[in-house]
Amino acid sequence: MTEKDLKVGIGDMKFTRGGGQIITYALGSCIGITMYDPFLKLGGLLHIMLPARADPNDPKIFKYADSGLREMIRKMTAFGMLKSRTVVKIAGGAKMFEIRGNADFGNIGQRNATMVKKILMEERMSIKAEDIGGSYARTMLLDVGNGDVIIRTAGRPEKHL
Amino acid sequence: MRLKSYEDMNLQELDVMKEISSIGTSHAATSLSKLLQKEIRISIPEVSILGYEETVERMGQMEELVAATLVQMSNEVNGLMLFVFKKDMMNAVLEKLIGKCYDSFEEIDELAYSALEEVGNIIICSYVNAFTQLVGVEIDLSVPSSTVNMLGGILTVPIAEYGYETDKLMYINAEFIMDGVRLSDGLLMLPDIESLNSILEKLGVVS
Repeated sequence: MTEKDLKVGIGDMKFTRGGGQIITYALGSCIGITMYDPFLKLGGLLHIMLPARADPNDPKIFKYADSGLREMIRKMTAFGMLKSRTVVKIAGGAKMFEIRGNADFGNIGQRNATMVKKILMEERMSIKAEDIGGSYARTMLLDVGNGDVIIRTAGRPEKHL
Repeated sequence: MRLKSYEDMNLQELDVMKEISSIGTSHAATSLSKLLQKEIRISIPEVSILGYEETVERMGQMEELVAATLVQMSNEVNGLMLFVFKKDMMNAVLEKLIGKCYDSFEEIDELAYSALEEVGNIIICSYVNAFTQLVGVEIDLSVPSSTVNMLGGILTVPIAEYGYETDKLMYINAEFIMDGVRLSDGLLMLPDIESLNSILEKLGVVS
């Protein structure tokens, strides 16, 4: 970890420019979304937990896919990000527990993924790479120097998106 | 006053939860002791209402591998019970049950996995049994579901399940002492808010 390394908690978003890394740990049913504008070397990472913000007065904007993505795009656009050249990658949305006889339980990951894709489509941003679903947690790391995204999971080799 | 979130509980209400946990933990220890044919002592459990990151910190590290068993409660109390095995607890249990220890969770095989699931289920069930007797409610339990995964990822399950209600978890932390060794026991008891209100009401502690 260098001083430019940023850690993103659950329901949070951080972005930076030029170099360093942004990391979020142990995405379960949550989804991590990275946006990277290679021209500016401007990169951001959002960690959402739920699909939609039901209460418009809820101050936790980054907790939800819909409000979180829009706010992330607004903020990064203010720093010069152009949607057309921005690379978007997503990871997470796992189903950690399977309860027999209750298939609905824990499919929040899938609902999160559907919502993230829907919002990105509305915003006319395409997803370059994804690592979604499964039954295991992922740690997601964005290298702001070159836009590389690394996915760490237990018992599997590191994966570059 | 009806509670809107776990953190709304006052000291008296928290004390009640602590009392329930104390009884639950001793029932769980008794069952575990019968299963393992070992004397097990317990410490008085602490009940804490914590945010996601605080809970992870208390229990270990984000990317630390742990095993967890989850059971869903329904009927008069709806919610989740989640029992987390750390390595010391896992090995203490497995050594007695299948005569084998494991260096890490990655090496766990089918046999060890089902043994852990069974122990997790027994602990949760005896806990809930104590609870139903004390409070006088009917609770149905689902079949258990288990996983070996990053602690941080496992804890996102309850936090996301009740994400529209609260950002807090109710963490019950007691120690099982077996052969003089302290084993950390991490249990999350997560009734939904409506059920929590009716539990406290039934026990007559509504302020």
